[in-house]
Amino acid sequence: MRFFAAAIVGLLLAAVLTPRENEGSSDFPRKPVTLIVAYSPGGAVDTIGRAVATHLETYLGQRIVVRNKPGAGGEIGYRSLSAANPDGYTLGMITAPPILMLDMLRQSKHGEIASFDVLASVQKDPVVIAVGADSPHGSLRDLLQAARDESSKLINVAGDGPLSNNQLQLAVAEKELDVNFNFVPFNGSGPSIAALLGGQVEAAVPSASSVTNYVKRGDVRALAVFADERYEFLPDIPTVVEATGVDVPGIGAAVRGIVLPRDVPIANKQLLADAIENLMADEEFKIYVRRAGIPLHYMGAEEFDAYLLDLERQLTAYMPLLSGAQDNGAPR
Amino acid sequence: MFEDSLLGLATLLDPAMIAAIAVGVTCGILIGILPGLTSTLGVALVIPITFSMPPQVGLAMLGGIYVASTYSGAITAVLLNIPGTPAAVATLLDGYPMGRNGEPTRALALSTFGSAVGGMISVIALLLLGPALAKVSLLFGPPEYFLLAVFGITVIASLSAGAMIKGLIAGCIGLLMSTVGYHPLTGTMRFTFGLPALYDGIPLVAALIGLYSVPEVVDMIVRGDKKKSVQNERDRKSPYRYLGQVIKQTGNLIRSSFIGLIVGIIPGVGASVGGFVAYDAAKRASKRPERFGKGSAEGVLACETGNNAVTGGTLVPLLTLGIPGNPVTAVMLGGLMIHGLQPGAELFTANADIAFGFIFSLFLSNLLLIPIGLVFAKYCAQIVRVPRAILAPIILLLSIVGTYSIRSSFEDVLIMFSIGAIGFLCQRFSIPRAPLVLGLVLGTLAESELERSLALVSGDIGVFVLQLVTRPISLGILLLSIYAVYQGVVQHRRQSRLLDQ
Repeated sequence: MRFFAAAIVGLLLAAVLTPRENEGSSDFPRKPVTLIVAYSPGGAVDTIGRAVATHLETYLGQRIVVRNKPGAGGEIGYRSLSAANPDGYTLGMITAPPILMLDMLRQSKHGEIASFDVLASVQKDPVVIAVGADSPHGSLRDLLQAARDESSKLINVAGDGPLSNNQLQLAVAEKELDVNFNFVPFNGSGPSIAALLGGQVEAAVPSASSVTNYVKRGDVRALAVFADERYEFLPDIPTVVEATGVDVPGIGAAVRGIVLPRDVPIANKQLLADAIENLMADEEFKIYVRRAGIPLHYMGAEEFDAYLLDLERQLTAYMPLLSGAQDNGAPR
Repeated sequence: MFEDSLLGLATLLDPAMIAAIAVGVTCGILIGILPGLTSTLGVALVIPITFSMPPQVGLAMLGGIYVASTYSGAITAVLLNIPGTPAAVATLLDGYPMGRNGEPTRALALSTFGSAVGGMISVIALLLLGPALAKVSLLFGPPEYFLLAVFGITVIASLSAGAMIKGLIAGCIGLLMSTVGYHPLTGTMRFTFGLPALYDGIPLVAALIGLYSVPEVVDMIVRGDKKKSVQNERDRKSPYRYLGQVIKQTGNLIRSSFIGLIVGIIPGVGASVGGFVAYDAAKRASKRPERFGKGSAEGVLACETGNNAVTGGTLVPLLTLGIPGNPVTAVMLGGLMIHGLQPGAELFTANADIAFGFIFSLFLSNLLLIPIGLVFAKYCAQIVRVPRAILAPIILLLSIVGTYSIRSSFEDVLIMFSIGAIGFLCQRFSIPRAPLVLGLVLGTLAESELERSLALVSGDIGVFVLQLVTRPISLGILLLSIYAVYQGVVQHRRQSRLLDQ
């Protein structure tokens, strides 16, 4: 017991006394780099974060240590990242749109949560609309028709929530397709798929990566994917345009990327960005990640920045739908 | 199926497997003893190391950690009145009194044997009934989960027999505390004081450390060595001599394992509730319910058997459906996926050696709990000889470091101390803390499932109430809850009459 206490105190002291510096140096990185994951271990962000951390070492020449700082829908981790020393030794994983939604919903001083310099995006996981294997609705058109039928009750749709990107995607779809569903929030995509399997709800809006195996196995039927192009692991599932002829913006897709706190020296930033670019082109890494069913999607800093700006513009238009949707299903 | 499982059994012949299990169990026990370090954190810390191992070896190590850390919270519960993990909260009720009565070795032996038996029975159920149990779990919808939470809350009645008012006060404080954080349906923030650390609700582990460690430390400092604590004088027997007592309680072992298994299959409930419900059932079935709370062997055995049986239960939906029911299995799902293993029926056919190897390794982990656990227990028992003046600051330091380590958050430490104040007041006015924990754990579940049930029927209360009595599983749990409340009241009247005389 005493030994542990001493060891822990020693570790703490070491952490506090480690020297910090701000100027970019030619021998960067000289020590292990920390990657802050603002979500719990084992989740989707953590999985891609750890995969990147393990393989980036080859290109960076230093170990990358994943630190989970979960809580408050990512806010705790995002805040500690933006407050981190901008020396390049602290990176973070972000997920858009949740990070932008947090910024809008929490009414914090604008940019307080989402104040970063982006390096690259690594993953894009769109939202899928799915029904049970024995559902009477064979296609998205059938489901929409049933939902528009005034005489019957609202169709229950399960999804991660409340106030998640999945709920946002459904709200956007409701508006663009002129239809009304009853969104019921569950604790994540997994539990909402379970509710679909058990027949507790008629439909669900899980993330594509979490539903892929159930679709392949035939336990769940995916009707459409909310994206411009088909999902790489479910090539038979139509996009929403193909299924309905209406273009529903896929802004609910979870785009995960790597960011730095503001004002990291240019040289260090460039070195990190190059390492990520090389990693994303690495065939061995691609095979490893594909085997785990993770949909990779690389955008460089400029492209990712532009994507986020455009996303923010669209969110400003669509976010009021979410506060409206809130009153719809909730009991008063 | 039979041949496939033999393939799994063969993987155990690999010395690397045995070594991985032994290392996993040893690490797991250490993690469970240290407050703040829980099964989830232990598994998450080790997962990156297992990436470089063959999948079955890595999984065996994770399984060992999971099983052992669920058990070893009992060691500190018995010796220090501090639960090392949430799973051990029910163990405090009788484990600590038994230790204080001069029988810590007996309490530790019963805990160890109970944990091992509960774990092994749940693994056998996972092996033989896994897919069938998974189908049953899908029949549970929000109304059923809501009623299960209500049923769990009725355990408060039986925990408080003899002091009903105080028990209800504690239960209500727990329920009230569970409403902190975002609203499960709308996301509206409640009682968060603008602290992001409270947005997800009061962190359970920080709350437990505050409730139990802080009052104990204060007590040690105030009373010093005069305090009557766990003593080791009266029993110097080998722990294995208590095996006979365990075997005599076959009924208790099977009942508690069954309860733990069911609680495990239900997502979002957890090992602490498994321990409480098994304890409650043992008390109702016991011929000597008045011994409960004063060091009853049946009580110690029931809650430790129950909470370890939860481990096998939680793996049922994980391995057969790919749905994690608690944080530990969520981390394990990540571990499976990174090895390219997709949970589901084909895991047991395409990767039979790995799937069955993992299940058999869990069985072995539970078995190894006995020798490794008892060695740890023997040396940990020496802790009661450490002078209080030295022990108190060490426990305080470990509590702070443990709380901080969960989310690397200093705000959590502040929350832990604030709840410590509540824990201190509870101890000062002899308000039982177990009902508070039950209220805190189950309040969140009850609220969110109630809201979800209502959302599914568009807020129509009439339809919801009709559902509760027309869905067969709902009706069953509803009747069970009514019976539990009724019996709790009867028990309370009988015990108060005894006290009056």
